[in-house]
Amino acid sequence: MSAPPTAAVSISGLRKSFRLKGKTLEAVSGIDLTVATGEIFGLLGPNGAGKTTTLRILTTLLPADAGTAYVAGADVRRNPALVRRRIGYVGQLGGADASATGRENLLLAGRLYGLSAVAASRRCDELAAAFGLSEFADRAVRTYSGGQRRRLEVALGIMHKPRVLFLDEPTTGLDPQNRASLWTHLRSLRAEGTTVFLTTHYLDEADQLSDRVAIVDHGRVIALGTPDQLKRRYSADTISVTPDLDPASLPEVSRVLSDAVSAREAAIEHAAIRLTVADTREAMLTVLGVLAARGVSLLAASVGRPSLDDVFLRETGRSLRDAGASADDSSAAVAPSEEVAA
Amino acid sequence: MTFAVQTGLFFRRKLLETLRQPVWIITGLTTPVLYLALFAPLLRSLAGGPAFPPGHVLDVFVPGIMVLIAFGAGMGAGWPVIWELDSGVIERLRVTPASRLTLLLGTVLRDIVMFAVPGAVVIIVASAFGFHDHWGGLVLLLVLLALLTAACSATSSALGLILKQIGSLAAVVTGMQLPLTLLAGILLPLSLGPAWLRVLGHLNPMYYAVQAARSLAAGAVANWTVGVGFAVTGVIAALALYWGTRAYQRAMA
Repeated sequence: MSAPPTAAVSISGLRKSFRLKGKTLEAVSGIDLTVATGEIFGLLGPNGAGKTTTLRILTTLLPADAGTAYVAGADVRRNPALVRRRIGYVGQLGGADASATGRENLLLAGRLYGLSAVAASRRCDELAAAFGLSEFADRAVRTYSGGQRRRLEVALGIMHKPRVLFLDEPTTGLDPQNRASLWTHLRSLRAEGTTVFLTTHYLDEADQLSDRVAIVDHGRVIALGTPDQLKRRYSADTISVTPDLDPASLPEVSRVLSDAVSAREAAIEHAAIRLTVADTREAMLTVLGVLAARGVSLLAASVGRPSLDDVFLRETGRSLRDAGASADDSSAAVAPSEEVAA
Repeated sequence: MTFAVQTGLFFRRKLLETLRQPVWIITGLTTPVLYLALFAPLLRSLAGGPAFPPGHVLDVFVPGIMVLIAFGAGMGAGWPVIWELDSGVIERLRVTPASRLTLLLGTVLRDIVMFAVPGAVVIIVASAFGFHDHWGGLVLLLVLLALLTAACSATSSALGLILKQIGSLAAVVTGMQLPLTLLAGILLPLSLGPAWLRVLGHLNPMYYAVQAARSLAAGAVANWTVGVGFAVTGVIAALALYWGTRAYQRAMA
């Protein structure tokens, strides 16, 4: 047996199957991953990809069938008690006790991790202030809004200053404002040295929040890297312009523009010309110049950035959105793009 | 973090949860008193008849009500367990270093309080209506039935964790309730029934608790019946606590 790795999370050959109505379903089919201390790591994939099962194994909730997993320097299988002391967990269901007050929830969590009553109370005040909960800390959690409740649940997960914080789909069901606020909290945790390991089915969450992303599908990691690396490796940048022209003349204009920017690909979609280029900013300037010289005015122009969905599409032949990833919130899953006023 | 502190924290949590729902406290206190007021008069005409145990009617009936309160206080434990599974509370607590046994014991101790308080009220009310108090026996009676409450509470928690659905839990608990309470001779002594019913009664662990409770209430403390009652109830409670702890270890929402 080798010494425990120094990484925050280190998984190798992880497997887990479930028996369901006589059929064996492999939820995790051999996952290898290493998460460095102090990074925000995102596990991105559609529902049923094995994200939650992986998280449950790492947080000692489920035993793995095969493979090894070290979390915060401790073996999940051999020493779950030590892992539990060193990690925090915010589950999909939340887990705040609705009949108790926010303060009671926080104090209990602190005491369970061995804080004295005084230390727990001090930490509770500190977190209530940091998460904007002070005002209603003494109200029953039942009366909280969705966003308030989620903030409390994250605070519950970090009462004992864990080395690694696990979050399962932390922003599902939150409105954009509350999502942004949660992201800010998670970034400040990273700044304090906490490793954050989260699962998500939102493309933008993986892209903008995570330092590194593993894209999983059918229990396997199909791509791993920083969001930029992944996007560069798998997809090219595109620009799109909609000139104020008769549709019949679009092919000709498209050819001219394509030559001017040495596009790798050119396509006409409805009234728009879509060009795949190496450098979107430079290409946009060239395109605008060419059109201006020909006296053509523009109805719309946009710079499309590659998204992690392109990565998923290349690897699986399906779009992450079509794979049932974010049916409950399509706006959150839209790939980031910059609209340029024409 | 010691075992006792952890247990205390969970006990406090469950007790606060109950105190915030006054409806349970009110029904918990009124139901046993209603039994005394409405059922005891029915028994008066049976008392002194064939096969009815000797003694004041309340001396026979009150220990039975006490067992019923213990059963009811314990068997309610499974419902909140299912709410806590659904809201992720149990999952969250399972990722903390808290011992699984203390998670279970917090509820068990709360249920013992929920048995002891109405139980004491019943004794006080009954003694005003002719129930003969034998204080030494009553103290042991409370201890015995606290063990029974623990057994029921742990069983109900385990069932909740395993069945995971209110409907299934309700079906199992109400399905158990009639045979267990009837065959224990709680409301009517089994001595009134035919031989086969008495044989079935001997297969019911709660029967021994009821027999011991009647003996203790009559002030007969040191006898075979009381010894068997404590032994059977103690073993059942230990098994139930073991089962409940295992269920917490394996619980998956």
